[in-house]
Amino acid sequence: MAGHERVGGTRPPSRFPGGQRSAGHARPVSGSAPSWAGRRIGIGAALGRVAMVLAFAFGSLALGAGYWQVIESQNLSTSGDDAAVIAAARNVLRGEIFDRDGARLAWNKRDKNDEPYRVYADNSLSGVIGYANRQFGTAGLENAWNAQLSGVVSADPLRELTRKFQADPSDPETLKTTLVLQLQEAAAKALGRNRGAVVMLNPRTGEVLAMVSTPTYDASAIADPTTAEATFQALQDDRRTPLLPRATQGLYVPGSAFKIVTSMAALSTGAITPTTTYSNQPAAESKGWLIDGFRVRDGHHPMTGNKALDFREAVEASCNIYFAETGVRTGSEALTDYATRLGFGAALPFDLPTGTSQITNGGGSLPGGFKDRVEIANAAYGQAEVLVTPLQMALVAATIANDGTLMKPHLVLEATGKTGTTTVNPQVEQEVVSSGIAHEIGAAMRLAVNGDVGRFFTFGAALRTMVVAGKSGTAELGPGQEPHSWFIGFAPYDDPQVAIAVLVEHSGGGDVKASPIAGDLLRAWRNWKNG
Amino acid sequence: MTAGPVVGGLRAVGREARRLRITPRFRGRELTLLLFVAFALVAGDISLGATRLVQAAQEAGEQPPADLVVLAAPTILTIYIAGLFLVHAALVLAGRRTDQILLPTMGLLGGIGLLLMIRLPQDLAGRLGGLAQTQLLWLVIGLIIVTGLAVAVRNDVWLRRYKYTWAAVGVGLLLLTFVFGRDINGARLTVTIGPFSGQPSELLKVILVVFLAGYLSENRPLLQEESTRVGPFRLPPLPYLAPMVAMWAIALGVVIVQSDLGAALLFFAVFLLLLYVSTARVSFVVLGLAAFVAGAGLLYFVVDRVRTRIDIWVDPFADPSGAGYQVVQALHAFARGGLIGTGLGGGLPSIAGRPPIPALHTDFPLAALGEELGLVGILAVLGLYLVLVERGLRIASAAQDEFRAILAAGLSLVIGVQAFIIAAGNLKLIPLTGITLPFVSYGGSSLLANSVIVGLLIALSERTREPLPPPRVTSRFRRLVDRGAA
Repeated sequence: MAGHERVGGTRPPSRFPGGQRSAGHARPVSGSAPSWAGRRIGIGAALGRVAMVLAFAFGSLALGAGYWQVIESQNLSTSGDDAAVIAAARNVLRGEIFDRDGARLAWNKRDKNDEPYRVYADNSLSGVIGYANRQFGTAGLENAWNAQLSGVVSADPLRELTRKFQADPSDPETLKTTLVLQLQEAAAKALGRNRGAVVMLNPRTGEVLAMVSTPTYDASAIADPTTAEATFQALQDDRRTPLLPRATQGLYVPGSAFKIVTSMAALSTGAITPTTTYSNQPAAESKGWLIDGFRVRDGHHPMTGNKALDFREAVEASCNIYFAETGVRTGSEALTDYATRLGFGAALPFDLPTGTSQITNGGGSLPGGFKDRVEIANAAYGQAEVLVTPLQMALVAATIANDGTLMKPHLVLEATGKTGTTTVNPQVEQEVVSSGIAHEIGAAMRLAVNGDVGRFFTFGAALRTMVVAGKSGTAELGPGQEPHSWFIGFAPYDDPQVAIAVLVEHSGGGDVKASPIAGDLLRAWRNWKNG
Repeated sequence: MTAGPVVGGLRAVGREARRLRITPRFRGRELTLLLFVAFALVAGDISLGATRLVQAAQEAGEQPPADLVVLAAPTILTIYIAGLFLVHAALVLAGRRTDQILLPTMGLLGGIGLLLMIRLPQDLAGRLGGLAQTQLLWLVIGLIIVTGLAVAVRNDVWLRRYKYTWAAVGVGLLLLTFVFGRDINGARLTVTIGPFSGQPSELLKVILVVFLAGYLSENRPLLQEESTRVGPFRLPPLPYLAPMVAMWAIALGVVIVQSDLGAALLFFAVFLLLLYVSTARVSFVVLGLAAFVAGAGLLYFVVDRVRTRIDIWVDPFADPSGAGYQVVQALHAFARGGLIGTGLGGGLPSIAGRPPIPALHTDFPLAALGEELGLVGILAVLGLYLVLVERGLRIASAAQDEFRAILAAGLSLVIGVQAFIIAAGNLKLIPLTGITLPFVSYGGSSLLANSVIVGLLIALSERTREPLPPPRVTSRFRRLVDRGAA
């Protein structure tokens, strides 16, 4: 910085206009200079200060770069907005999805830009496998297992750290699901043009064998970039809401199928025994049972005559008054307790997001949030404010089938990547009731399908080749609306290997739609089982 | 064969050279640095080539070949490096005792930019067979400009004499932009006349510095010592504040008319810095900053573009796939790079064949370099700009008079401040403005203007003492002003 002054000092002053005034830049301020201005410095010194300012500015740039490239590096580069993560989803071949017998459910094709897109085996899979599309994202199993399928996230932190130095950083995993493609197809066919859902699972392991929601949709058309936009728009505008996975997220009034839950609570707490009868029940059937000013009505007294029904007969005849009285006797606390054990009141522990089944809206002063005894009485036979998902009802049937123990439901058997295979093992979720009580309820459900009275309510569910146990339901929705039709059950009765829940929206009584569908599907299951 | 004829031949060449008054002067430091630059660029190109081989093998599902040493773009790189050495040869032949650091520094920055252009999809921009070839053409023209100015500019009379002419040219350029300007991405930066198009604001920044050097050096004594009393305040001399106000208005006008926030910021910052250099009065800077804040506040409410930019800056993650998309993706690019980067060609994941940031080659080259060269690479690039500025300020402090000092300081500060503005915008330290990263960004106007700067700086750095230009013939008007001010 001294150079300037040296040069300046040698300059002939007269040759530069104004040079005399500025000769010697370090000259102290003369008396005439304003006092506020401070000491004058020369150009050399001013340049030095400017250089310092610039050095400071570039230092802040270095700190800024360090912040983004070191401190925030991990956060940003693994987030869903990251171009590398998005690009991986577009460029990497997603892992394929298979059913439990090795049938391909989802695989990849390449478009004209050589970018892969998904193809699905059958529309019946839409409610469970979902779809994967780069514009509209993912749904269903494609969403729940997206990280593994697209292979961008590794569970091993050390591998994650060295990922970018590897020749091929992504490791998409192949999924072997618990599903059976032919049961999926059979269920979609059985539901036909009805809106509804079917859930079939192995009660011993919690493996979901079939999970179908109708109306189905063509997930391949959503995945294909050339048809995605139009397809997705049409599905969103469709008033039948095909994009709603009814099996897991549809919430429905269960009707009489819920009596199994009430039975579990009542028998376990000793509120009733299998021999309990209500002497006022036969008479009440003509006018309804009056509780706190409300009449619980029942419609099937002609078939049972004037006999006071015991527990098994009440299940077989699906007697509302019996269960209303039982519910009140059991109390809302025990009812809530056993419903909670079965998974009510929270999302189910499952691969896919599920709706929350409820036995009451809550907010009431009685235990569990019930308003009054009338609500308990109505809830006990599956009306009032009870709302369930088809998956939840399948779990109720599966718990009875598995001697009172609820297994955690799951959709994936194995995930296989380059580094090996991860196996999902069966897991006990909850010991809901004792095996004795489960067998007692199971026996009642057997009568409900095969008994002289019961088979009229579950017409079509009984099979010649295999003993089926179950319970139908007719969910009354109020005046002017066709009720939902339900069937839950399991088979074979002696050694249960499949539990089922069938829901058909607005289709009439349980015997009309759901029971024959359940019979068809259990027959299909048996055919699959026998190869 | 004896040595006689050879020696004799050499002597003849020497005689001939002396007759033509050519006295070559060896530039050892420049040669060494250029060799290093060539080595670094070749290494970078081989790294890019190897990455491409590995990627191609991966896509085909094969094992990468054993021999990965291959240049990604041998012709382009050879032409560029040869160009650098030819400039060096010309400077040696010219025999002037000028700066030897500027050319290699510019050469390395330009080379890094060229490697980036080779690496990006070639159809992003450019008429001449793609991004890299077009950039190479501009770089070569830039090197010719550097050579021409560094060899030929021996006096500065044509710059200092006609400062108002230059100012008129600058205003003319602004008007040109206003009349012939074409809106691109909402900013009116580009002028297209016939087959030629360019960004006048790039040239304008050089002209501005030339004008300011002339004006400030002439009025330095007055600006330094006079003051005006307004009430209790002692302010700088009001008559000499006029250009300051004019500058402020021009910057504001540039923003409003052209939506060119980056250029406005650059002009105003360089103006304030030069004002401080020539007067050493902090009060000017404070006053200028106050005017800047007031202007920015006004613009925030008046100009939508300014408001959008500032809102995005405050929280780009509020709309990461919409308004904040580019800024957020740039930050992601920095983050992916981490400490040492992915290597050239290894980063910038393409989505449907496009890089993740649309304006990567013009507005976000630093983000691209941050991803592929890492924090280490960013620091190196920032260091190169500091070297450029340091050389420029050194030339300024060794200059023979105020005009040359302010000119050299202004020219180097233009590069330094411009690099800071775009780098800080990329790093979310300040709102993003669409301005180029000097020598690295794609674009002819920017490369040519910055080449003019480096050429002038090299010429100004000559250490032989020349007679100063004769004093200007003072006009009657000028004499009146001088008398009045004295």
